[in-house]
Amino acid sequence: MLTPPRKSPWRLSSGQKYRHRQRLRRVDRTVDVVYKALAKRGMTAAAVERWKSEMPTEAEMKPRDKYTMFDPKQRSYRKGVHKLPKWTRMSQRVNPPGF
Amino acid sequence: MSWFKITLIRSGIGMTERQNNVLKALGLRHRMKTVYHPVSPDTAGMIMKVKELLTVSEVDKPLTQAEIHAKRQPPKGYYVEKQGVVREDIEGS
Repeated sequence: MLTPPRKSPWRLSSGQKYRHRQRLRRVDRTVDVVYKALAKRGMTAAAVERWKSEMPTEAEMKPRDKYTMFDPKQRSYRKGVHKLPKWTRMSQRVNPPGF
Repeated sequence: MSWFKITLIRSGIGMTERQNNVLKALGLRHRMKTVYHPVSPDTAGMIMKVKELLTVSEVDKPLTQAEIHAKRQPPKGYYVEKQGVVREDIEGS
């Protein structure tokens, strides 16, 4: 059974943006704790290394990437990040190459 | 030896089968459940799979489930006086 897409405004409210930033920071903190704990014992993990090298932190991200994401179907190629299903529990930080 | 203190703060409902299996493997059955796992690349990989749902900190010693439960209890609001103890702060006792 498919649920129909819900109506949602085209942009985020300032409160949604604030809470979204807090969530981004929480993920940053988690990765940082894991990275430092491993480094202290001279260990590494591929997933952590890859995240550290590829993903920008909340502070490094531009507002454009924080609050919108790539969408090939839009005329501007961007849509609000809240259009992504389960967006409060997903990581969506980088764009495809060239966008 | 140090440990990861891992708490599930966002539910895994509706997430992928794979992520829910990772939560199960970590022993996180419901929200606000806290588990301790040794610091190792294996644990780190599991945390990274579900990092959006967790808070993680590094601790020296894991707490048992009973200790976690005791920590969450509110103060009783009273104490039981022991028999035969003379309290000096009460006059005439």
